[in-house]
Amino acid sequence: MGLDPFLGAARLAALVRAREVSPVELVRAYLDRIDRLDDRLRAYITVTAEAALDAARRAEAALARGGPVGPLHGVPFAVKDQFATRGVRTTAGSRILADHVPDEDATVVARLAAAGGILLGKLNLTEFALGGTIRYPFGQPRNPWNTDHDTGGSSAGSGVAVAAALCAVSLGEDTGGSVRSPASWCGVSGHRPTWGLVSRHGCVPLSWSHDAPGPLGRTVEDCALVLGIVAGADPRDPLTAKRPVPDYRAALTGEVRGLRVGVIRELTHGGETEPEVRAAVTAAAAVLGDLGATVDDVSVPLLPQAGAAFMAICDSEGAALHLSWLRDRAADYDEGTRRRLLAASLLPAALLHKAQAARALIRQQLRDALTTHDVLVAPTAHRPAPTIATFTTPITSTREAAARFFTRRSFTTPAALAGLPALAVPCGFGASGLPLSLQIIGRRFEDATVLRVGHAYEQATDWHRRRPPLPA
Amino acid sequence: MTELTEAQVRALAEALALPMTADDAAEVTHRLNAFIGALAPLADLPADGPEPVPAPIDPDGA
Repeated sequence: MGLDPFLGAARLAALVRAREVSPVELVRAYLDRIDRLDDRLRAYITVTAEAALDAARRAEAALARGGPVGPLHGVPFAVKDQFATRGVRTTAGSRILADHVPDEDATVVARLAAAGGILLGKLNLTEFALGGTIRYPFGQPRNPWNTDHDTGGSSAGSGVAVAAALCAVSLGEDTGGSVRSPASWCGVSGHRPTWGLVSRHGCVPLSWSHDAPGPLGRTVEDCALVLGIVAGADPRDPLTAKRPVPDYRAALTGEVRGLRVGVIRELTHGGETEPEVRAAVTAAAAVLGDLGATVDDVSVPLLPQAGAAFMAICDSEGAALHLSWLRDRAADYDEGTRRRLLAASLLPAALLHKAQAARALIRQQLRDALTTHDVLVAPTAHRPAPTIATFTTPITSTREAAARFFTRRSFTTPAALAGLPALAVPCGFGASGLPLSLQIIGRRFEDATVLRVGHAYEQATDWHRRRPPLPA
Repeated sequence: MTELTEAQVRALAEALALPMTADDAAEVTHRLNAFIGALAPLADLPADGPEPVPAPIDPDGA
């Protein structure tokens, strides 16, 4: 049969297992697309073509021998260049680590490979996963739906590669929205797992109390497939939970009858949310209602403060990690990264502790809302992807700094501050033709419920089936 | 808390041995003042709320 690279990981894995698609053929198809499209899109920093073809040949031989294979057997994936890969440079999107070659795989990479996945390469990101990069050292990532527009970040390449079918599925890392933001603006699904569910070992850290590796896929099922592979206790990350990992794919029943869905008023109906986003999210909530869920509004009053509180905490944790390089290699940072870390380095401690207090209250308010509701929904972003130039002009006022940095982050950072699972799923297109996204937030360790709701919504709509206007 | 001036920001950076260009100083001042403005309302948050532990604590689970 002809290969469709947009099929996504779960369906491709089934076709490989049924020997209807060859892993070698599949890897070649993605490498061909990368060759043709990635000069412009810049999803990848490093493509591991030869190693991928070798792995594909081994995967094909294993199929020919018969016997059991892993759930991702023969399926090409790619990971954010924040995850260590043995023998393959891991730059974290920075000149500072341009020649860094780890001697072991991150736990998540090792688990994907053990499940039979084939690493295609390392994906572009904002420098050190911080966000706000002005000049990307390894090329400007571009939105496949309109290449003049931003991709979202920090897992920029992870969103682009899935949206443009430059891999079957990808792995990103979500500190304050870094999986959900590119999923939103690139029109794919992306899941931030419960903090503590997925190992951070081998992940270049940004903010220890927020960092959460998570999948981006063409479907919610692809996210569930990858989450099931990477989740679970890891002795090398002592903050991972020891509880058993559920079968996330089995939870995708399509059934939401009886679930209570709360539409977060402050994020959905607040003044910052563009009307077309509000309309799309309201319509998505109505779809869940039509499917049998009980839907009503819920207020979480502190959420508009979440962006500033998050940045104070996240950036301070990051600044502590970067202090030595900030002193010795300041000129090697992108100016946007450097200025963000410098500002955090100088933040008064009393303000940081106020941010921590706000975090605890936001966590409590979300927990209260999730006592009366099974999941909460809101926009993933308050607007569709802006142009790349929006984020690259100099900041000339305090007001501009606040608007650029805090407003948009108040949409994705609440779940990060509270350590909750959150899924971004396509829910429409704006007048400009760019994707819009629904965010679904759940209780800690109830990722399966979040994925179930996202999958049910996805099955009732066709937004995820649309493809960006790229050459065939 | 009042807004910081660019000179104050330069002095803070110098005290911490953090190199800063003139352009950096101007933008870092805006960024810091944005933090101060955005976090100021948090001073009114109830002081008897939940303890501000940095990461989620789940005594029943992890």
